[in-house]
Amino acid sequence: MKSSIFRNSRDVFLDIVNAKDYIQLDRVSTIYQSLKNSVKKPLKMILLYGKPGTGKSMFLTKLYHDLSATQDVYMYKTPILDESEFYKTLAQDLFKIKYRGELNFTQFMKVVEEHDVGIVPLVLLDEAQLYSNPLMEKIRLLSDTRKVKFVITLHKTGKEDLIAKEHFQTRIWESIELENASNVELKIYIQKKLMKANCFDSANMFNAKAVNLIYKLTNGNYRDSNKLLYTLFDIYTHYEDKGDTSKMNTNSVSNKIIEMAALHTGLIND
Amino acid sequence: MININELEARWLKYKIKSYIPHIVILLSIAIILTIFALFNSKSVINTKEVTKVKNENVQEIQVDTPSVEPIEAIADIDTKKELVLAPTIERTKQKIIQIQPIQKKKIEYTTPNYNTNEKTILAPSLDFMTKLQDNTLPYFDNENENKIEHATQETPVRIKTVHKAAQKKSKPQIEPIKKESSIQIDRQNTHDDINQVIKRFKKNNNPALSLFIAKKYYQLGEYHQSYNYSLMTNEINNDIEASWIIFAKSLVKLNEKSMAVETLKKYIAHSNSHRAKILLDEINSGKFK
Repeated sequence: MKSSIFRNSRDVFLDIVNAKDYIQLDRVSTIYQSLKNSVKKPLKMILLYGKPGTGKSMFLTKLYHDLSATQDVYMYKTPILDESEFYKTLAQDLFKIKYRGELNFTQFMKVVEEHDVGIVPLVLLDEAQLYSNPLMEKIRLLSDTRKVKFVITLHKTGKEDLIAKEHFQTRIWESIELENASNVELKIYIQKKLMKANCFDSANMFNAKAVNLIYKLTNGNYRDSNKLLYTLFDIYTHYEDKGDTSKMNTNSVSNKIIEMAALHTGLIND
Repeated sequence: MININELEARWLKYKIKSYIPHIVILLSIAIILTIFALFNSKSVINTKEVTKVKNENVQEIQVDTPSVEPIEAIADIDTKKELVLAPTIERTKQKIIQIQPIQKKKIEYTTPNYNTNEKTILAPSLDFMTKLQDNTLPYFDNENENKIEHATQETPVRIKTVHKAAQKKSKPQIEPIKKESSIQIDRQNTHDDINQVIKRFKKNNNPALSLFIAKKYYQLGEYHQSYNYSLMTNEINNDIEASWIIFAKSLVKLNEKSMAVETLKKYIAHSNSHRAKILLDEINSGKFK
């Protein structure tokens, strides 16, 4: 059924970070393997940075998904902005200690030094640019104890680079940059993602011309591409629901539909 | 929820906007090309027009020249009054039209000269004297004299033909006029003419004038005068063959045959003149009396 194909194809591009939706691309796989190797090294902190929508959260989720079976990994997708709450959460997760009331940095450092956990636990902090500078400084001091290992993700902006330099310049750490996809990678990404959901007909609709236009509109950004493709298949679903099949070309994605999707998502303005 | 109709309208607007730069570029290119083509075509037309005008001018010039030349030729022969008329001729068609009345005027000037024999118009010049020297012998022949008289009678008619030729704008008919120009002057044989030439000779002592006077007197049968003026000519310039011949002929006519023979012998020894030898033979044989 055509209708199910377009709906299924649309749902593939829902903006949800799920380790199962991770698409292996050559360059991305290399980077991911490099991240996994870095985690095994005796590094205090690992910095994962890049522009929004380049897949940092997906990387972190994938890492958590892969490593959680073999070691203690704790992932915090949403930043804990309150300092006491941050320490209390870590004490509970890492050392299984529940604190009532306030827990300051000094008290938490004592807890960390008293507990010998064996294998160093890995703490994954997403959207680390939202943490305050004093808290980031204390995270650095925590990593210096070598009792906790941190992997943090940062948006790549001028300010965030400055934070990275100020807080982590003298520490032993590794930084990995994530970038947008090329047009070839974007085509593979779209087709693999659709084929993974058994939408082979939809995958075949994306020829080089259509992908080039999508790349031109999204600049290879995964989040923007997902949004565009979701809208694109949503338009197809609408045409299909209305029975207006004359405006649909099921052999290839028309530029008109791509541009309409881009207009709707705000990638281009009318 | 997507509003498809609204989205299609937005897309149409977007496409029109996206095509505007292309349309503007294409239009500007088309305008530039059109202007360039128009400019080129105009320049080509202008050059063609210029060449056409040039050709027309050239044709006009080629047509005009024959009509101008006869006037100039006649003007040289005739008086200075005619020369004043010549500069009015120019290269335009309007001017060509003006040429014809000028020619008519010229005929009015020339025709009465030959019919009425007005002395004031045809004043003798020195140029024809040199020509006369070459024509000395035929000048004394009776046949040549008849020819001269015949030519003088025909001159007005020939001028008319020249006029017709000028109207037809053809060159070759001009030349006969030049040949007969000297003949038109030679027909004046009156004593008044000789007296005028004598006055001029007394002023400038020119041997050509004295020779002319000698010939005129010989032609009129006044052999003493012809003897005197030919003698004066020989004294001024002793290398003029015609003067020695007139001198010898005058002596014969004055019954001084022996002196004439001696004079001719001396001259033949001096110059080896062929004409002098012929005259000497004729005197000795009695053909010339």
